[in-house]
Amino acid sequence: MSGDREAVLARVRAAAGRRVPHPGVWEGAPGLTDFPAFARILAAVGGEAHGPLPERELPAALAAWADTRGAGRRVAAASAARRLCDPRWETLGEAVAPQALADVQVAVGVGCLGVAENGALAVLGRDVPNRALLFLAEHLALLLDVRGLVPDLHAAFRALPEGALAPPGLTWVSGPSKTADIEQTLVLGAHGPRSLAVFAFESTLRGG
Amino acid sequence: MRLPLDARARVNLPDDRAVARHDAAVFDLRRRRDAAVAALPEFEALRQRAAAVKRHVLDHLDLYLERFEARARAAGAVVHFAGDAAAHNRIVEELLLERGARRVVKSKSMLTEECGLNPHLEARGIEVVDTDLGERIVQLRREPPSHIVVPAIHRRRGEIGELFHRHLGTPAGESDPVRLTEHARRDLRPRFLAAQAAISGVNFAVAETGSLVVCTNEGNADLGMTLPGLHVACMGIEKLVPDLDDLALFLRLLARSATGQPITAYTTLVTGPRPGGELHVVIVDNGRTRLLASPTHRDALACIRCGACLNTCPVYRRAGGHAYGTSVAGPIGAVLAPALTADPAVRTLPLASSLCGSCSAVCPVGIDLHGQLLAWRREVPAAPARLRWAARLAAALLARPTLYRASGRLLRLAWPLLARRWPGNPAGGWLAARELPPHPGASFAARWRRRRAP
Repeated sequence: MSGDREAVLARVRAAAGRRVPHPGVWEGAPGLTDFPAFARILAAVGGEAHGPLPERELPAALAAWADTRGAGRRVAAASAARRLCDPRWETLGEAVAPQALADVQVAVGVGCLGVAENGALAVLGRDVPNRALLFLAEHLALLLDVRGLVPDLHAAFRALPEGALAPPGLTWVSGPSKTADIEQTLVLGAHGPRSLAVFAFESTLRGG
Repeated sequence: MRLPLDARARVNLPDDRAVARHDAAVFDLRRRRDAAVAALPEFEALRQRAAAVKRHVLDHLDLYLERFEARARAAGAVVHFAGDAAAHNRIVEELLLERGARRVVKSKSMLTEECGLNPHLEARGIEVVDTDLGERIVQLRREPPSHIVVPAIHRRRGEIGELFHRHLGTPAGESDPVRLTEHARRDLRPRFLAAQAAISGVNFAVAETGSLVVCTNEGNADLGMTLPGLHVACMGIEKLVPDLDDLALFLRLLARSATGQPITAYTTLVTGPRPGGELHVVIVDNGRTRLLASPTHRDALACIRCGACLNTCPVYRRAGGHAYGTSVAGPIGAVLAPALTADPAVRTLPLASSLCGSCSAVCPVGIDLHGQLLAWRREVPAAPARLRWAARLAAALLARPTLYRASGRLLRLAWPLLARRWPGNPAGGWLAARELPPHPGASFAARWRRRRAP
């Protein structure tokens, strides 16, 4: 199965000099962490930022946004459904085959961190176990607790919670699906969502 | 004398207008990169750090490979090693055939281009659909990508419209990029849903966590990784980074250097298979350890495939990627190819350079690319015979003042003939793109004496 393993590793071992030290942990000064900075970058990469809203206003804001994204199946990942408690969204069960999500018009999930320098949200497998939802939906919304904002990717990786990498994996989402492969013309919705909206909220549970 | 690169440059960029168009399209990426770099104050600090981390990793690559292998296995992935392209193709083929997977979606991977994976699988009855829009375009055209980030940058919208009309049944004359992209999306979506396996490249592999990192803007790699149950990821041995702190560093540099984006739309870390799925990683040498063993050429393995050196290179911009005849074009292609391919023709690629150093100036991991080009020039055994004779003749003339002066007189006499275009003119290659200036009528030495005379 891995018949070449020893040979490849032996060649690498013979060539590795083991002299150059690692420069240590990055200690650069972090940049801005405020929501307007994040929203500005998100807009620049084709996404839209809403909020920050009080958490109780999320269901109405999400419903109003979803109405602008066309009629059709609306699916909420279980993590988002818990926050929204809104029967207008179909809660995604654990055992659904990813192919069964092909007709989703609007989806909502939860992001765990937002990165101000690049407009990216970390979406953990824990929060959206059926990751295909993030890529098959025509339009995607992600909820973000504003306390989860960090200045840059270095800070972001440090702030990831325990188990963040567990299967099915972690995706940084920065804007909608896009391509510029035909004469450098930017087109949104190459394969995945045609639009991405981030709804930042302030948790009603203070200090939590 | 014409180098292979020179001869091929006209195939896809047949006239001055095509060259100018390609040049502008490619340099636009360079400008976007400049804007993104200017917007990040610590870019230069990140760049220097990236250079240091890469050199550390290459110097300890065996340790990081073994650590990655152990952590990826612990997470449930199956790790394979392949010594060369043939072994790589065989491993992938067996994984697919053993599971009866005959419909495969593939996202971008320069390594599989290098190994010729698609033709290998197609010859065994496996349908491989390239899903990156640019790669799909060149796949339908049955040609290789011409740019590592923007594979179809050499094609115009009209050509793509015609191609889609033929293969996807789009209306004749359709050339709007938005509508063409929509047609491609509608054609590819059912292929994703019906796929039995996905093949992807790997942008980074994190040793500490055993994670594979895949970056795309379209989301095509993620559709592949989430729909079929089998995911085969193919990577060169040099893709390792020590930990997540270093991954953050390279992610902050990659998209900014490639397209001027702060990060790609999707950056996915896969650590082990999803429940019920299978994850295989194929780690490929295919000549990379030859580079690793060479103190002179090892640095080329630091490359993170951002394409910045292509976008700034005056040769690449005017010649186009296909002129290189290698899977990776541009300055980095010219310094990787002699180690990664057996074809002696690629050894002349480092000759096709002005050594202007623009590639080195933009490289986010600090590869001294023009130094590498120069180093390869010193060991080009396959230098065309005419070039070797010309160099010997020049050496002989420059060492003998009388002969040198006589040759100057001869050249001035022949000048009117050389400056004109006629078949068989030894200066013909130069005249194709420029005109020789009128010569001053006398040698420099003679003019110098005249000027100094009272």
